Amino acid sequence: MLLILCWSLAPIVFMVMASFKPGQDIFAVPARWQFTPTVQHYISLWSQWRGFFDGLLNSLIITAGATALVIAASTMAGFAYSRNRAPSLQRSATFLIVVRLLPPIVVTLPLFGVVNALRLNDTHLILILLYATFFVSLGTILMRTFIDQIPYELDEAAMVDGASRATILWTIIRPLARQGMMAVSVFVIVYAWNEFLFAFIFTSTRAKTAPLVIAEMMGSLDGVDWGVLFAASTVQLLPVLVFVMLMQKHLVAGLTGGAVKG
Amino acid sequence: MIRRQDTRIGRLLQSPTGMALPWIAPAHLLVWSLLVIPGIYVLWLSLQASTFGMSPQFVGLDNYRHVLGDVYFWRALRNTLVVVLGVVHVELLLGLGMALLFASGLPARRWLLAAVLAPYAVSEVSAAVVWRFLFDTQAGPANLALAALGLPMLEWSINPNHGLALVSLLSIWLNLPFTFLILYAARLSVPAELYEAARMDGATAWQIFRRITLPLMMPAILLAMLFRYIFVFRIFSEVWLLTGGGPARQTEVVGVYLYQEAFTFNAFGGASATGWIMVLISLLLGAGYMVALRRQSMGHGR
Repeated sequence: MLLILCWSLAPIVFMVMASFKPGQDIFAVPARWQFTPTVQHYISLWSQWRGFFDGLLNSLIITAGATALVIAASTMAGFAYSRNRAPSLQRSATFLIVVRLLPPIVVTLPLFGVVNALRLNDTHLILILLYATFFVSLGTILMRTFIDQIPYELDEAAMVDGASRATILWTIIRPLARQGMMAVSVFVIVYAWNEFLFAFIFTSTRAKTAPLVIAEMMGSLDGVDWGVLFAASTVQLLPVLVFVMLMQKHLVAGLTGGAVKG
Repeated sequence: MIRRQDTRIGRLLQSPTGMALPWIAPAHLLVWSLLVIPGIYVLWLSLQASTFGMSPQFVGLDNYRHVLGDVYFWRALRNTLVVVLGVVHVELLLGLGMALLFASGLPARRWLLAAVLAPYAVSEVSAAVVWRFLFDTQAGPANLALAALGLPMLEWSINPNHGLALVSLLSIWLNLPFTFLILYAARLSVPAELYEAARMDGATAWQIFRRITLPLMMPAILLAMLFRYIFVFRIFSEVWLLTGGGPARQTEVVGVYLYQEAFTFNAFGGASATGWIMVLISLLLGAGYMVALRRQSMGHGR
């Protein structure tokens, strides 16, 4: 058990610790456990890599946009798939899952030209759309499972009162399916915040995300400043790590269909 | 307006199925415009000779011939298979062990679960930063630990095999939380009465594992395995960020090979052909997944 803990946590602990170590101590042999903590690397990060903070902001905008889009689209579709069991319709739900077999890197080829032609290159919008596309399938299936658990009698009662589908979705399903929305949002947020491939191919300056700036720091030719690199990685990780820990219950519920209580 | 309802489309729109269409439209619009149509377009591209600023020309299967005759492609494919087989099976073994450990009752289970899930939050980029540091050949703590144990260090930037080993380690570390959770859920769905009955009959721990746990978890293990095969097969970022495919293109995987073809050599035809080879292999694995899924749901009598 200790081994498992060490395996899971040691890399994260090393990263955070190194970000507070004075530069010469990071690569000290043997590794130094006692050192005077310093925020020097964070200060350098702020003064030398302003682009990293722009990257964080871009990541935030893109993550928020993709999450909102996925939640809206998959709640709507999940609602329809849950309440209408016509075989032809359910086949289109299966289709949503099957197309996810396409490796993301394959669609970058044709999209690269089209995105350039539409001048969507290096915009927040293209990443929002791409990230949403790759999670709307899972989102829809999850939402269908969660909406299935809401009794259909509630819909019927509202229909008798003359409520439209939209009203039912908004006033009955939306509040009761909150659990499902939380689960879906955990997946999308973690993915969109950390994604590398699409950001790497479709952004260059204006919409560059935080992971991309970190990759740039790592690849800089004039020697890597490891302290600053660790500081940036820590800043990038911290919000999403806290988020995952807080939302652990929803993450587990989403992955296991409620079999495991987190 | 009245006449329109007589047409077939009109009737479809009035049917309950038709009423559902506007609701599923946004999800399908995204998937069709950014996945399905581009995917089909790649198939067309793979039959053309094209590059920037040149009108495409039909060349039949030439691109496929080119790719299948390229030693770099075969090396990339071999590397990918090695990584897929290594990563997925180690992940399943570790995940299974952890699932059994968690199910056997642990103190502070909530906190342990949180700790085990932590790598899920880490981005590929940050993970690459840390693992590069841990396995630094001069001062990396993990490499020094290996040396202290009398084992050879991982010279991942020079030795391609070591490079692939580090890529695999990183990939396992990032994805183990996910695999573990699936297996843990499967373990918890094994009815507790079976274990009580077995214990009453005096079965040993090994017998219980062999005769109850393993067979009942098998469908879930198979599903997790195929699922992970499909996802590790498209590995790109881990390799790109750690070794960049080097030294001398020796640690390239198929994803990196495709990227190089398209964006370094501007050979969109070859890249598209590679893309469709990836799609076909994924579809094959996916078909296996569907068969396993159907068998599982029939086993549950649903």
